[in-house]
Amino acid sequence: MGVSTERQDNTLIAKTEGRIDGANAREFQDALDAAIDSSERAVVLDLEEVSYISSAGLRVILLTAKSLQKQDAKFAVCSLSESIREIFEISGFDQIIAVHDSRNEAVDALKN
Amino acid sequence: MSTELRLKVETRHDELDRVSAAIEDFALEADWPLDLAFKVNLALEEVVINVMNYGHDDGLHEIDIILTTEEDSLTIEIVDDGRPFDPLHDAPIPDVNAELEERNIGGLGIHLVRKMMDDVQYRREEGKNRLTLVTSLAK
Repeated sequence: MGVSTERQDNTLIAKTEGRIDGANAREFQDALDAAIDSSERAVVLDLEEVSYISSAGLRVILLTAKSLQKQDAKFAVCSLSESIREIFEISGFDQIIAVHDSRNEAVDALKN
Repeated sequence: MSTELRLKVETRHDELDRVSAAIEDFALEADWPLDLAFKVNLALEEVVINVMNYGHDDGLHEIDIILTTEEDSLTIEIVDDGRPFDPLHDAPIPDVNAELEERNIGGLGIHLVRKMMDDVQYRREEGKNRLTLVTSLAK
């Protein structure tokens, strides 16, 4: 499970694909940790190509959100499928993590 | 007409791939809407991974999974020989309204199962946990 990155307006975009489940969540966490430097000030996790996520994957996103908050960086997720958005809502994650429809919208929001 | 899918998995994480592949095939065959396959996959993973992580002290054990579809409902039965665990009463209840700093992931998996399924029943029988999940197949 890999994480690719690119930079847009000083925001780090991290992207992964496929399933994030109990079998590969640890791998996802390691890849995400390696991709995010402690000097980052704004990070967007792009979930457009993610087809499935379970609580094991949500845990990684929560830990990432917490660690970015500690380093005073902004964090958002974008491009969630309908099912993943529902999981976010049921988990109450949409109350603590900014969710945007598109990558550009997320990058714009983090600029301010 | 009812159809059935039976799976036997060992208590190791890489078995999850086999479970999800079997559900995807079953869903395709039965022409399920996409979100239903997602829901079923999720509920199964959350229950099964709990058994894998906390059910036993040592060794590999087997978990039986039986999916039965009736005309308008799907029943999922999960049977394991792990220590007694009733997710309806024994799982921590997550605070889904806590602020980010206080947010904890414990119990979230079972919370998702309860929210996504229409009915969840637990029985302890003959030294085994039997969890039955029911969801509607209405499109």
